[in-house]
Amino acid sequence: MTRKAQARLGVLLVVPLLLLVGIFLVFPMINAVYYVFVDFNGINPAPPWVGLANFTELAQDPDVWAAFSNNIIWIVLGTVGPIVLGLALALLLWHVERGSVFYRVAFFLPYILPQVAVGVVWGWIYEPSRGWLNKVLETVGLGGLTTGWLGNPDTALYAVLATAVWVTLGFVFVILLSALKGVDMDIVDAARLDGANGWQRLVHIVLPQIMPVFLMVTTITLLGGFSVFDIIFVMTGGGPAGASEVLGTLAYSSAFQLNRISYGTALALVITLLAIPFAVWLNRLQRRVSLEGTS
Amino acid sequence: MRTSLTRAAVVAAACLLAAACTGTTAPADDGDSGGDGAQSLRYLIEEQEDAEANKELEKHLGEFTQETGIEVELETLPLDAMRTVLQTQLRSGEGPDVFAWGSGPSFGGALAEAGLVKDLTAAYEENDWQVYDFAKERVTVDGKVYGLPGEAETIGLFYNKDIFAELGLEEPKSLEDLQAASEAVKAAGKTPMAVGNKEGWEGGHLLSMALSSAVGGEGMQALLDGEKSWTSPEVVQALTLWQDFNKKGYLPKSPTSVDYDTSTSLFYSGEAAMIPTGSWLVAEIEDNTDFEVGYIPFPGPDGPGIFTGGLGSGPYVSATTKNEEEAIQFIDFLASPEHGKWVVENLATIPPMEVETEGLDVSPLFKQVLEDTAELSSGGDFGLNIDVLVSDAFNEAMWDGVQGVLTGQRTPQEVAQALEAEQA
Repeated sequence: MTRKAQARLGVLLVVPLLLLVGIFLVFPMINAVYYVFVDFNGINPAPPWVGLANFTELAQDPDVWAAFSNNIIWIVLGTVGPIVLGLALALLLWHVERGSVFYRVAFFLPYILPQVAVGVVWGWIYEPSRGWLNKVLETVGLGGLTTGWLGNPDTALYAVLATAVWVTLGFVFVILLSALKGVDMDIVDAARLDGANGWQRLVHIVLPQIMPVFLMVTTITLLGGFSVFDIIFVMTGGGPAGASEVLGTLAYSSAFQLNRISYGTALALVITLLAIPFAVWLNRLQRRVSLEGTS
Repeated sequence: MRTSLTRAAVVAAACLLAAACTGTTAPADDGDSGGDGAQSLRYLIEEQEDAEANKELEKHLGEFTQETGIEVELETLPLDAMRTVLQTQLRSGEGPDVFAWGSGPSFGGALAEAGLVKDLTAAYEENDWQVYDFAKERVTVDGKVYGLPGEAETIGLFYNKDIFAELGLEEPKSLEDLQAASEAVKAAGKTPMAVGNKEGWEGGHLLSMALSSAVGGEGMQALLDGEKSWTSPEVVQALTLWQDFNKKGYLPKSPTSVDYDTSTSLFYSGEAAMIPTGSWLVAEIEDNTDFEVGYIPFPGPDGPGIFTGGLGSGPYVSATTKNEEEAIQFIDFLASPEHGKWVVENLATIPPMEVETEGLDVSPLFKQVLEDTAELSSGGDFGLNIDVLVSDAFNEAMWDGVQGVLTGQRTPQEVAQALEAEQA
């Protein structure tokens, strides 16, 4: 095949994807940018131009700030939780040979379950009178701690977060475990002979070797914290009275429940804009670490 | 390379997120909006809770086809999906010919104002469609009638007659009676009232019934018309009532954690003695209980109170339909007394017109509900279900507000002020 024919084939193969990207990504994107500058209610075919009004309203909306602070809680705990627990679990099972497939499957399973199903089932677990969480607490003499987990404004966000950590944990665990399998054991053994304790070996020998993977996992979980929507929507709908609202659920309710499509779109754009610097920063860090590792 | 890939991924995610909120995807449409002489109509309705009801309805629509030769393709969508898709479909001209949608300003009224539904005023006169006046008003915008009102619904208090008899309790005739009955039920180790408010919308019904029984039909109308302030003492008292009932343990523990289905199952299982909800539950109550059930208005401060009335979804004709004549014929079928009787006997819902209850094959509980509705419609006082008569923003303030009152996040006064702000 000549170089020209090869190039032609290449173009031909790329065209369908380009079309799809154009129709489903580029066009809606341009469309979305238009919608944030008008006041579209889902009905009016010629919505009035409002300039930056959606953004100024957003900056002054106390609901947005409350939702944003819930996002921050979600980003911090929803990243630290699964990373710490997943790493601990991976280290525990690092050298376990017997039943390792079982452990990997068991912990990974929640990650591949539909979030809606997970949300519904955990909703039953948290149910105040019939759910087993309260029943277990009562059985072990901790009846004083029982509450309506998803309907109590003090616990709703954390109860959903705990479910999300349970889901993400398996993903972090499986990825880190496979990274650990690639760690050079000679260096670890050498450090042990030189008198390094477990913590020192982890921080100075093991973690640096798995750092690129570790940062990749952190990037994925952290960015997920910005766009979180489904599990909260299913479990609490952002309630009670907005107590577990995040920017994603607020964008949804503005756009589709209050028919303020433009305001919801503006919120969605803000979520994306907030996430980009983190994505770029973590990616650069990951690239630097990878390059250091190869030099 | 990897950086640019990530950037591309981030930009792609941005597009998706933003696009997700614009809702401008073309409607999925495999049907044919007619005009080809095939004499078929597309009829879109909300997905029904009972799958059997759909089959029954399809069978019933077959009778219309037999009579007229017009095929009706029944399509269903979940309510939430319908909210987002319906307007796009109607606007694109690819929508259904006839569709069922809420009867009230924020539902059908909004579509009428946007010019998306046909004016049926003349068709009403030509075909002499007889519906309750109060129901017709809800589908009238600027003097023009745009649809057939949906099924009539009342909201009140169902109670387990067996538990009441066991505890020697009478039917509550005032708030004082209701509190005394609740205390007795609580002392017997049961939950007095099965209230679930996890979804939020239940809060609108809780407020509607307590408030309607306190201020009456006229008072409710004055509130909704903006002639009476939502910060009035009666509104604050109605909100405080639910706060107190919760504090006193008359409701299940943490009602904002209990969803509607769980609340109804608490009542069916006999764990709760009463459930404040609407007449739409009658069929399910009869299927799921083996005890006798009574249905009364939610008691008022000075007496037995009044039922709260509301309307469900009724048929509208799309403004862009190419089958107007057939669509009107179909509406004529849906407005007929025979269809009304069929609805009563098969769906256990109340049509928006008078139905002769003599000789009907229905349960005593449903018969009572039917008679109550007919009585209300012939001049009796009835309250108003707030959520179908107000804006979405008001509803959100009300739903969040009642949840907030039950969890202690907000005071009744704060909620009343938020409602007044939305009314303005």
